Amino acid sequence: MAENPLVPTSGEFGLEKAAAESAMIPNEPPASFAKQLQGFWVTLRAMFKKPNTVQYPEVKAPTEARFHGRHQLNRHEDGLEKCIGCELCAWACPADAILVEGANNTEGAQFSPGERYGAVYQINYLRCIFCGLCIEACPTRALTMTNEYELADNDRGKLIFEKEDLLAPLRQGMLMPPHPMYPGSDDGSYYRGEVTGSHPSQEPTHHA
Amino acid sequence: MTKLTPVLSAHWDEADSFTIGAYKRHGGYGAVVKALEMEPDAVIQLVKDSGLRGRGGAGFPTGMKWGFIPQGDNKDHYLVVNADESEPGTCKDMPLLMANPHVLIEGIIIASYAIRAGYAFIYIRGEVTHVVRRLQAAIAEAYAAGHLGKNIQGKGYDLELVLHVGAGAYICGEETALLDSLEGFRGQPRLRPPFPAIAGLYAKPTVVNNVESISSVPSIINNGAEWFSAMGTEKSKGYTLYSLSGHVANPGQFEAPLGITLRELLELAGGIRPGHQLKFWTPGGSSTPIFTAEHLDVALDYEGVSAAGSMLGTKALQVFDETTCIVRAVLRWTEFYKHESCGKCTPCREGTWWLVQILRDLEAGIGTAADLDKLLDVVDNIMGRSFCALADGAASPIISSLKYFREEYMQHLTTGGCPFDPVASTVFATAGSR
Amino acid sequence: MTPEALTEVEMITVVIDGFEVTVPKGTLIIRAAEKLGIQIPRFCDHPLLAPAGACRQCLVDVEINGRAFPKPQASCTIPVENNMIVKTQLTSPVAEKAQKGIMEFLLINHPLDCPVCDKGGECPLQNQAMSTGRGESRYEGVKRTFEKPVAISTQVLLDRERCVLCARCTRFSDQIAGDPFITLNERGALQQVGIYEKDPFESYYSGNTVQICPVGALTGASYRFRSRPFDLVSTPSACEHCASGCAIRTDVRRGKTLRRLAGEDASVNEEWNCDKGRWAFKYLSSKERIATPLLRGADGELHEASWPEALAAAATALKGKRVGVLVGGRATVEDAYAYSKFARVTLGTNDIDFRARSHSDEEASFLATAALNAKTTYFDIDKADKVVLLGFEPEDESPIVFLRIFKQVKKRALSVVTVAAFASRGSQKLKATLIPVVAGNEAAAISALEGLTEKSVVLVGERLNESAGALSAVVELLAKSNAKLGWIPRRSGERGALQSGAIANLLPGGRPVSDPAARVDVAAAWGVESLPTTAGKSTAEILAAASAKELDAVVVAGVDPLDISAEALTQLLNTYVLSFEIAHSAVTAIADVVLPVAAITEKSGSFLDWEGRPRAFTKAIEESLTRSDLRILSMLAYEMGTPINLPSVAATAREIAALGNWDGAKASFTPAKSNKSLKLAAGEAVLSSWRLLLDLGTLQAGEPNLAGTARPATANISQSRADSLGVAEGEAITVSTARGSITLPAHITAMADGSVWLARNSDGSQTIATLGIVGGEVVSVVKA
Repeated sequence: MAENPLVPTSGEFGLEKAAAESAMIPNEPPASFAKQLQGFWVTLRAMFKKPNTVQYPEVKAPTEARFHGRHQLNRHEDGLEKCIGCELCAWACPADAILVEGANNTEGAQFSPGERYGAVYQINYLRCIFCGLCIEACPTRALTMTNEYELADNDRGKLIFEKEDLLAPLRQGMLMPPHPMYPGSDDGSYYRGEVTGSHPSQEPTHHA
Repeated sequence: MTKLTPVLSAHWDEADSFTIGAYKRHGGYGAVVKALEMEPDAVIQLVKDSGLRGRGGAGFPTGMKWGFIPQGDNKDHYLVVNADESEPGTCKDMPLLMANPHVLIEGIIIASYAIRAGYAFIYIRGEVTHVVRRLQAAIAEAYAAGHLGKNIQGKGYDLELVLHVGAGAYICGEETALLDSLEGFRGQPRLRPPFPAIAGLYAKPTVVNNVESISSVPSIINNGAEWFSAMGTEKSKGYTLYSLSGHVANPGQFEAPLGITLRELLELAGGIRPGHQLKFWTPGGSSTPIFTAEHLDVALDYEGVSAAGSMLGTKALQVFDETTCIVRAVLRWTEFYKHESCGKCTPCREGTWWLVQILRDLEAGIGTAADLDKLLDVVDNIMGRSFCALADGAASPIISSLKYFREEYMQHLTTGGCPFDPVASTVFATAGSR
Repeated sequence: MTPEALTEVEMITVVIDGFEVTVPKGTLIIRAAEKLGIQIPRFCDHPLLAPAGACRQCLVDVEINGRAFPKPQASCTIPVENNMIVKTQLTSPVAEKAQKGIMEFLLINHPLDCPVCDKGGECPLQNQAMSTGRGESRYEGVKRTFEKPVAISTQVLLDRERCVLCARCTRFSDQIAGDPFITLNERGALQQVGIYEKDPFESYYSGNTVQICPVGALTGASYRFRSRPFDLVSTPSACEHCASGCAIRTDVRRGKTLRRLAGEDASVNEEWNCDKGRWAFKYLSSKERIATPLLRGADGELHEASWPEALAAAATALKGKRVGVLVGGRATVEDAYAYSKFARVTLGTNDIDFRARSHSDEEASFLATAALNAKTTYFDIDKADKVVLLGFEPEDESPIVFLRIFKQVKKRALSVVTVAAFASRGSQKLKATLIPVVAGNEAAAISALEGLTEKSVVLVGERLNESAGALSAVVELLAKSNAKLGWIPRRSGERGALQSGAIANLLPGGRPVSDPAARVDVAAAWGVESLPTTAGKSTAEILAAASAKELDAVVVAGVDPLDISAEALTQLLNTYVLSFEIAHSAVTAIADVVLPVAAITEKSGSFLDWEGRPRAFTKAIEESLTRSDLRILSMLAYEMGTPINLPSVAATAREIAALGNWDGAKASFTPAKSNKSLKLAAGEAVLSSWRLLLDLGTLQAGEPNLAGTARPATANISQSRADSLGVAEGEAITVSTARGSITLPAHITAMADGSVWLARNSDGSQTIATLGIVGGEVVSVVKA
């Protein structure tokens, strides 16, 4: 055998070699009755153990903390979206499950700090393989994954999640965009973590 | 016996030295008469024979430069005099023009005649209003006396002389940037070839010479090539102005043959200011690698300085004594280069900008020995990579100072700041303090 | 390059990284290395711009005759020489370190904008930072910042933080476009691209700077944040806007054209195009586009109909009737051929004309002779000793022709003469000698032209037909001087339509209708007994006949009646109109049947540019369900029982090729006399006009950013007229006819006193709609 089993040396390829190797796997009956009893004992013991079955969907077992579930589009502390519509997630996606279209933040309609925001954001959960490459690619930590795994439906269309399905809910102190950036700040301030909540002046004024 | 050879500066002590009257009293405008009677090519040959080399820094033979101008090409030729003296430490042309502007004008007439130019330009830096005014007055005097304009001194030669005042940019001392500026564009160096001798000002054959080079011409015409080449050393002929500044007892212009040493010049200048010792000095302005006390006996000619690892440059000897912080001095120079970078090419524009930040940190004692290596590496990426020589000039003081004073840089880093008292290096500091 | 040019050049052999390469003398090192496949990183270098040597990214080690340069040299500035040995970053550690050092310098102040930058993904700085940059920055300071982005025109945005100051944009604007509206300002680390405060970057060619910017410093407002390169499907295409013939690239995302770039074609547009070609494509996805056939019902309204219904209705209306065909100037060669064949075979008429504009019989004769046989190319402009512009404003009417002339003006002071109302900005840039004429008097001015040789190029615009006798004078001038003729129509399809016989006096391949042999030739190829012999009608005659009910129906394909005359639309009201259109228009509004056709991105085909050079293109939007004109005509002809058998573009192209060009007797030109000079009373002038490049043209609709850089309309008059009217520059004057009046700021310029000039179709200056004329007629000019 080669030292590294992943790097076979010459002569170790081909069907003949494979057949030869499988022929070497022992396929003999158990050696004795005692050995058979040993096997039954394992089964018997398991019958008296506490069952591991979870009564889903009545009971939902928590996932591991890093479980790759449904995506979420995060917000800055004042409610502005972190997504800048850069499409790097779409670029990274090996399953071509993400569609992003960027757009220009304007003075009247600011959705994210800086010049650009994601106007269209779709993840197709029929395609998504939950590999997490998208969240690694995200330069603003806008895209993260939740632990939510209940992603089944009877309509294929419903499994294409739109931006509003993916956006994180507003927390205390957040305002629903579009609204202006925190007074006196620039996009750098947001990325340096200097914006810790919204300011009354960011409240959109309604002229209706 | 003094080693001085006052030619250009011979009569600077006279109160009216800048007037045409004083100039003529000492034989001024005599060389023009002589030159206009010669064939232009003979004038070029004479200057070639004299061995006169450009006094602006590079030391290119002046006669050879004139000889590059294609003759009989039915094109206008131009002479441009570079009076954009703006390198830190360099201070020879302005005193010369203040005290004796007519020697330049006479040189211009002769040089223009030699290269068959009908127009000559003096490009002078804008900050020196007093010199500009004096030069303007001198040009007016020369026109009035018939030395400029149509049919100069009845010899049938026409020459118009234009004084152009720059807006104050170091880069405009670079000859092609100067030409751009003179044409009304932003001063940025041009791609060569074509060289100015083929396509210079307004794309016509142009000679660009330093003030001192052109001012040296009348004396060569008057006294002959042999007289001139008798002075100086084998390959660096003639006399020149050495400008001593800084921590010397008696700073100023010292006109001496090429090849004199700083030790000799310091004797003439009364030595380092009392109570102090020489620490380092520049042989030719801030863009030439610095020297230390070990170089006191280096012959100050093109070859001598070059052999010792620096450049003669403009012979601007800035002398610093032991009260000067090398990091501080280098930072100030680098700030100058950053401010004066024209921005055309990347290494100079971005490099000088970065160097200032690194040096500021170093002066403030921020950093480690690794930062000195980074500094050297950044300088290495600038040196010889830029479009013109400005960035090389910015790199020189850093490389040479690290060569001689690396310990002092380290001292800043170990003490967490500058160990020097900046006041001690000022002229108003009491003698021998600290 | 032509073989002729190749043989002239001395060849130089140089060794780069140990490999020999032989290139023409004058080739720069960086270009010679490309030939070997050695990519030296670069920013400021551009093959069509003069070397700058500014970015210093392309430093290599150079040795000549065994003597090495002491320091690395910029390979974009040094031409190769014999006995030169070059070591690039691949073989020289010095060059490699130099390049890495420069890249580090460029990046220390470059913002981390890639995620929000439009250039991200197709950025030379990104790519070269990967190949030549360090993994981690050694820079610890604060980056230089500027306000961003700055709109330097409505269509171009400038981000100075991203700029690497390569000066490609400023050099392009100065050297190629002659519009030095952007320059480098300030110095040192503060150097930046800028415009004059009140002078935005309103060049017709500004989009090229966006394309050649090696970073995201210049971006197009219309494409801002629209997509990433990996979203786009790119198709090489041909520009449909004018007869320059630009190769372009169409970038489509999910069935929608998002961007168009200049394509590369060294013999035509080099690597440039104009802003109209680049940005005027929103009409393709306009809400006005028609998706299904429309039939006018009993209620007088248009209703959506199925194809069989619509075709049946149209077939019934046309079968056996007297029908005229207006093809329009934007049809592809194949479509125009189909219209020509449809008219002759199915409709049995010669009443077909592609000239949806002013025209004359003199012009028809000129087109069938001189224009058809013109072989002048861009390359002739390169070699010309003189260029004469007659009824032609290259910058406005064929912008790439302008660039080509400007290149020679810049390079070798090519002499340009223009016979025009006044010296337009384009003419000024070309340093053209202006021969000012009052419209209508062109013939005399042309006859008086002198000093033309067989190397001179005479460029005739389609507008010259508006002056009677002028084209006859051109024919005479060409005969006298042997100068080369280039006929440059404004529209992309006209030269192809001429070649395809979409005009009354010609059959496809330049065969004269009047020549029985030519008719037999074509009839045999088409498998029909004979072709109609009756002389056909021109556009104006078709319209007049329709109005007078001498025609029963008119097929109108992509024609804006206001391009022809103010009355054209009304003339169509009396007749049955079958409209082939991409979008709702004035014609579809009155049409009886509307058949939707494919727009440029939805079909394949070809144009002939003004040289006659084929500009083939393929479908950019595969998903499209629309059909090209020829397919629909073929279905309609089948429905009418006289098939033309043109099932596809490819089949049509094959048929055209098989038919070939006419090699029989050429038609001869029938000269016309010029009109007598018009008598002018005080306060009267003769109107001249032409269309500016950016105006109210239908195909420019829906793109406000482009419209924002259109030149404002003015009324141009001479100084002495201004004096007699008592108006100063910029004061309003009114130009009127009995039909209407136009009031605009006066622009005083050198022109004949008897002349007044207006933009033909600009905002506030639509001469046909408002005044009812294009020029050559008397108007009154008064102070407003």
